[in-house]
Amino acid sequence: MAKKKQSAETSGPKEFDVMSYLRRDLFPHFLCPGCGHGIALRALMWAAHELGLDKDKIAIVSGIGCSGRLGAYVDANTFHTTHGRPLAYATGLKLARPDLHVIVITGDGDCLAIGGNHLIHACRRNLDITCMMLNNEVYGMTGGQVSPTTSQDRYTTTTPTGNTEATFDSCKLAEAAGASFVGREVTVQTPTLKNLLKDAIDHKGFSFVEVISDCTEIYGRKNDLGNSPEMILSQKSQMRPDSYGGVIVDEPFRPNALPTGVLTRSDRAEYGETYRSTMASSKKGA
Amino acid sequence: MDKKITHKEPVNVLVVGVGGQGVIMVSKVLATICQEHGYQVKQSEVHGMAKRGGGVFSHVRFGEQVYSPTIPKGSVDVLLALEWAEALRWVNHIRPGEGTFISDTQHIVPPFACRNRKRGAEAGYARETSDQIISRVNKGFALDATTMARELGNERAANTVLLGLLSTTLEFSEDVWCDAISRFVPPKTVDVNLQAFEQGRAWAAMDHGTPEPVVHNDGPTPVVVGREEHEMSDFVQLDINPAWCKSCDICVKMCPERCLKLDDQLKAVLTDPDRCTGCRICEWLCPDLAITVHRTPEAARAAAQG
Repeated sequence: MAKKKQSAETSGPKEFDVMSYLRRDLFPHFLCPGCGHGIALRALMWAAHELGLDKDKIAIVSGIGCSGRLGAYVDANTFHTTHGRPLAYATGLKLARPDLHVIVITGDGDCLAIGGNHLIHACRRNLDITCMMLNNEVYGMTGGQVSPTTSQDRYTTTTPTGNTEATFDSCKLAEAAGASFVGREVTVQTPTLKNLLKDAIDHKGFSFVEVISDCTEIYGRKNDLGNSPEMILSQKSQMRPDSYGGVIVDEPFRPNALPTGVLTRSDRAEYGETYRSTMASSKKGA
Repeated sequence: MDKKITHKEPVNVLVVGVGGQGVIMVSKVLATICQEHGYQVKQSEVHGMAKRGGGVFSHVRFGEQVYSPTIPKGSVDVLLALEWAEALRWVNHIRPGEGTFISDTQHIVPPFACRNRKRGAEAGYARETSDQIISRVNKGFALDATTMARELGNERAANTVLLGLLSTTLEFSEDVWCDAISRFVPPKTVDVNLQAFEQGRAWAAMDHGTPEPVVHNDGPTPVVVGREEHEMSDFVQLDINPAWCKSCDICVKMCPERCLKLDDQLKAVLTDPDRCTGCRICEWLCPDLAITVHRTPEAARAAAQG
């Protein structure tokens, strides 16, 4: 028994306890029952724990929306910013304080609609920021309006006859705009999501992670997608894990399934380093 | 050789076992021998869906004229079982007062018998002893063919041991059996299979009592889910914070052991602490961060204090 105890003490870091990463006096959180954002928050904290990040060195920047409120619950440096602009704030923060691990929590409407311009330019610059985009296909906080990622023919409060617009593939967008790390995962696979977020935080350069979350109360109810357990289980049929170890792809049976896992990873020059070296050399020259 | 049709009415042999034991091989050997003897043979089987570890059965009927390929319930003349639980499943198909029962006493615990997946938990398995079963049939043999085959050097020859025992109840000569066996088993294992066949015949000639069932699988197999996070532990404590729970039902529906429920306040509660394996799925998927699983007494104590 004594031997066992000793090995437990010596082997690796302390067991992950999400409570040590939360501002517990703010709980229970404001999210609706069954909202997947809480699962994504746990996965993010778990990834930070496994990477052994110092809580004082984590800076969480969030925008407006259901996802934007998540930052407030984390016991770290948090920054609640204006709608669509968390990436802009994070860019300034990271350039001023390169020692911080800047993590942006944003939603599909925040990141792709209002902040679409900031996203593509953040991807282009390739500054060392981790962007976790929680995609629940709807503007949840403001009452369920259509968002750029709402699937076609889905009902929202602003599309009472079904969504007729085409849908954004945010990972393709980020990849095309130049993000050096792009990944996608569903909340139901929490350990896999944690591993993906770990890779993303570890990556040097702009890393974009789309987390498929579920909005049960507003989007699920309007579209008859079932209760939270049904919605979270259906995520498994919507994903196509084809980048983690070459898992067999049954594409013909799931034409609408999204690829998950690490989709892009490159070693493009990180903007912060380039910027600092240019500044240093220009000062020398002056 | 004397090829005489002695059976006008069909003789029904039912071979049952678990996927991977060689049920189909046994029935193939038997059907070939009968056919070469001049009988009409009909054989039908269910396999494939069972994969390895599931139930497999094969009907072999031979006689002067056989019409149906399946054996009616209650008219099995010889039941040859390669596994004890499968033997019990089919024992009431034996012709009352006339049929012969041959079974290996090997226990292969099926996965669904391990209802409680905690380490060291008891597995649900048939409790009848071999004596109880043999007293219910006209003529019964229960032998530990697997151990006999293992002593010969190949555990998988257990089906041939039972074939040797079966050969003593039918009229075909030993040479015919040996010839058929050496044609159907893999070439490298012909010798060990012929030895096993001899052992089976020798066992039938011996005077013996019925042995007690031998369990070859020690308890339920630990469930391997493929992730290190799923490792089983002896200590499990589930803390659910009712103030944070928002009754979304995810933990109740996703629990693989079905040991959570919503109480009358619609808060998640653990109904059966003994069944909880500490797999952490409820903890990971709780959107309200209300569930914490402690795997060590130290962690539970620390959480209670802090």
